[in-house]
Formats: sequence, structure tokens, C-alpha cells
Amino acid sequence: MSDNTIIQQGTFVATGNDVILPLRNDVDWVKVYNLTNIAAATQWAGLDFYWQRGMAQDDAITSYHAAATQAVSLSTCATGYNGAVYRGISLLDSSDQTLGPAIAVTNVTAANPPLALTANTANVIANSTIIRLYSLATGQQMSSMDFSVGAVVANTSMALAHMPQPLAGGAGFYRIVNYNPLYYPRRRWITGITNAAQAVIRTSVTHDFHVGEQVRFIVPAAFGMTQMNGLTGTVVARNVIGTTGNNTLTVDIDSTAFTAFAFPLAAAAPFTYAYVVPVGENTGAALTLGTNILDDATVNTGFLGIRLGTDNVTAAIALGSAGGTANDVIRWIAGKSFAHNVVPL
Amino acid sequence: MLASTASIINCVAGVNGDTPTEITRADVDEVVRTLLNNNAYTVLDNIEGQDKFGTAPVRDAYFALCSSNLTGNLDAVQGFIHKNNYPQTGGLRSEWGSIGNLRFLVSSIGSVTPVGSMLGANVYNIFCVGMEAYACIEQDGYSAQFIYRPPIYDGPLALNASVGYKFAEVPRITNDLWVLNLRATLA
Repeated sequence: MSDNTIIQQGTFVATGNDVILPLRNDVDWVKVYNLTNIAAATQWAGLDFYWQRGMAQDDAITSYHAAATQAVSLSTCATGYNGAVYRGISLLDSSDQTLGPAIAVTNVTAANPPLALTANTANVIANSTIIRLYSLATGQQMSSMDFSVGAVVANTSMALAHMPQPLAGGAGFYRIVNYNPLYYPRRRWITGITNAAQAVIRTSVTHDFHVGEQVRFIVPAAFGMTQMNGLTGTVVARNVIGTTGNNTLTVDIDSTAFTAFAFPLAAAAPFTYAYVVPVGENTGAALTLGTNILDDATVNTGFLGIRLGTDNVTAAIALGSAGGTANDVIRWIAGKSFAHNVVPL
Repeated sequence: MLASTASIINCVAGVNGDTPTEITRADVDEVVRTLLNNNAYTVLDNIEGQDKFGTAPVRDAYFALCSSNLTGNLDAVQGFIHKNNYPQTGGLRSEWGSIGNLRFLVSSIGSVTPVGSMLGANVYNIFCVGMEAYACIEQDGYSAQFIYRPPIYDGPLALNASVGYKFAEVPRITNDLWVLNLRATLA
């Protein structure tokens, strides 16, 4: 077998959200089989999907049950059937830091956590998606910050899950941050620090710090807790379940007597955000706490891969989409091939 | 790697109404002061003044690595010395000039954070680095390999060549106190 005909395969259980499959190399074609839909005889269920280089992103040739039988019909996701179009297969390159399109936010409410109200939550996944808010009319102190989204009410609101301080923001825009910064470990913005014998820090985006890592805190004067500025601490506990109230790291710094941490008011802008930056590993602590002493190793997390699209709101669309419905068993195979551009005789 | 990990300072002394603002002398001074307080060594020695029209001595300096889109804004900063005003020729090929104790090296692929400012403008990351602030570790005795296999290795008919590359190199910040990302928008 020649180079450029490398074939990869795998299987997974669908989550109900878009599925991203990092691959060892680029691909020229992908086949996806939804075993759950194939076994059943559900009308309008997508059975298999085929995409090859040259086709549009989020498209695929698909077969489906046009009736509640095992009979099979053919279409494409973009053409669709039963009066709908479906989600297909896309190529991904995480080195592309382009954000999603600008989408209007009608208001950011001063709830705990704050809610970003919007009429468009397309592709926003609860407890997963990262959004960047900007141009907020009265929330300049939150504008340009990234937030992990918590609960989502479709086409109504998104909770800024890890913002413990209620802040109103007014109208503005958000964009989906498609990929994390390329390199781990990553710097993260701080949204809260407790006064405790072991300070508990919350970050605006779900963090990926590990127990045993050493981190440094940068807390500008606008955030109040200036005693924390410049201190390094060892992470002794973490909670990164991506729901409201979680996403914290606990460090061995006694902040009991520190000035309270408070997010600045809009009038304080411009300022530098408070953030936590990884600086290394406390090897002794990591060994004592039973964690990998290489957790702080610098890693390029970039990948080439494919996305199998689906719809986490409309079940009828998910049924005919490559990413399937939650709990569907899906197999896939992807490969490279030569581009044969000879004009047919 | 620096964009993901390094400590940051937003430019705040500008007047464009954004966060961060455009770069100013006060922001440069803040970065230099921070690096000095963190005991970072400068990378380049000073250039002594000479009796030549239009030249000025250049301080010993940290490197500031940034996008070539910032050149116009750099020109406007108080105290900017373009490299053709250095007393001696020999500025680095990619160098644009110096401000205080920073010498700016520009590149068309300098780091930019899209839609990263308060008003939704692109944010330019200016990496201000001291001596030995970061390093590249070659893991297998090489940094990168570009591999070409001529058609004879492909098959009996020698129809297809192949080209590929691989990396065995990891960048790493050696001391986080010696590298700062000065973030700025355009004026």
C-alpha cells in the first residue's frame, strides 16, 4: 500500500451534540454508519453518510428510511428530505482561531450567574461551548472575556456559568470560540477568589489545571484582592464539572485576611483582567497527591479532524444527521486517497 | 505557546476608547519596569551614541515580538527610534525600531487574537522577552525533519513521490516572570 492511503476507523456512542473526532492525519473521505438507525425501521432516520474532499462542509451523501420499513432511499444532507435539511460532515483544523459569526445579545442580566439573552443559540452546547462577549453597552468590564456557557434555553438565554458576581451588561454581541488556545497549559481569566485558609479560585472558562501544578496569580488593583497579586500556589484540589458553581481550583494560599475579590465596575475600564498563569509543577505535592508529575508539560493540542453535525434541540433533524441522536451507536472509517484529476474519456 | 500561556499586560494608557488601548510610552514603561523588577536580563546590549546627524543612542533592550500591522502605531509612540536612526548600521533584519528598553521585531505572522478587545477589535500580542525566558527542547536530537521519498520507493512502477514533515520539538517558558504579553489594539 502506498503512502496517502492511510485508513482509520472507530466507534462511539452519540451524545446528542456535535461529535468531534481528532484524527492522526488529514482525511480525503469519511464514511459514517449509524448502527442504531440501521437496526431500527424508523421513518426519516439517517443510516449512513459519505463525504469526500471537494464536497461542501457539513454536507454528506446519505441514505435513510423513507418509510417505517427497512427500505432505503438516497439524498444529501444539504438537499435533505421530508422538507428538512440535515447536518453532515465537516473537516476541522484547530489551528484556525477564527471565531464564529457575530450574534446579537439583547441583554446581560444581573442574575447569579448572569444570563446572556439572545434570539440565536445555534451551535451553543450547554456546559461545553465557550463564547466571547464584546461591545456590551453597559458591561465594559466583561466585554472581550471568554465564558464557558452553562444552562442554555434554546434561542432565549445562555448562563455565564462561572461568573459568580451578578453584573448587568446591556446589549452587545457574542461569538463562539471554536477552539481553545493551541498550547496547554493555558492562562485563564479569574472571576472569583474566596477568602479561605485554602483559597478557591473560579475561572471564566472551564480550566484544565491539575492537582500538583504551580500557578501564579495576577490580580490588578481594580479587583480588590491585591495581596494575591504575584503569589504562586500549588493546586491541591480541582472541580471542573462544567455546571454552575463548579469549575474551581483550590490552592495552598491562605487568603483569609486578604481584601475581598470584587469584579470591577464598568467605569474601571480599561484595565488588565485578573488571571491565573501556569508556572510549573510542585513535584513533591504531585507525588503526595498521587498525580502525574508531568501534568504541567507543554503540549500542542492542535488537531486535524472531522465534525459529525447534529441538532441538540430538534430531534427530527438529529435523526437524519451524521452526529445522530443521544445513545446512537455509530461507526466510522476515514482515509486518504490520491486525487485523480484525469479528464474522463 | 506564548499566546496560550504567557502573563499579560493590557495597554491602558491610550485614547482609542477600547480595552486594551493602542500602545503608548506609558505601557512600554510599565512592561520594562515589570521585567526589571522580575530581574530579567536584557537580550541586546546598548548602542553607543555617535556624532552623526539624526541618530540617537539605543538602550540595552528586551525583545518585543509583534505583528507588522503595529508598525504605524509604533512610529507614533513617544521616544520611538527607527532603526535607520541608530548610530550604527546593523539593526536586525526584522527589527522596526526601539522604544525605551524594548526593541521591536515585526513579522507578518505576528500573534493576533481575533475579536479580542472590549469593542470587538483584533488584539495584537506583543511578546516582551528577557534573556532565556523561553526555550525550545529538541526531543529526539532534531527539531524538525522534511522528508522526501522519490518515486522509486513507492512501488514497482515508481509512479508517486511523497513529501512530509515531522516535529520533535517542544517550546517551554523557562521563567514566566521574564516574558510578558503586552496586548494592544490599533489606534
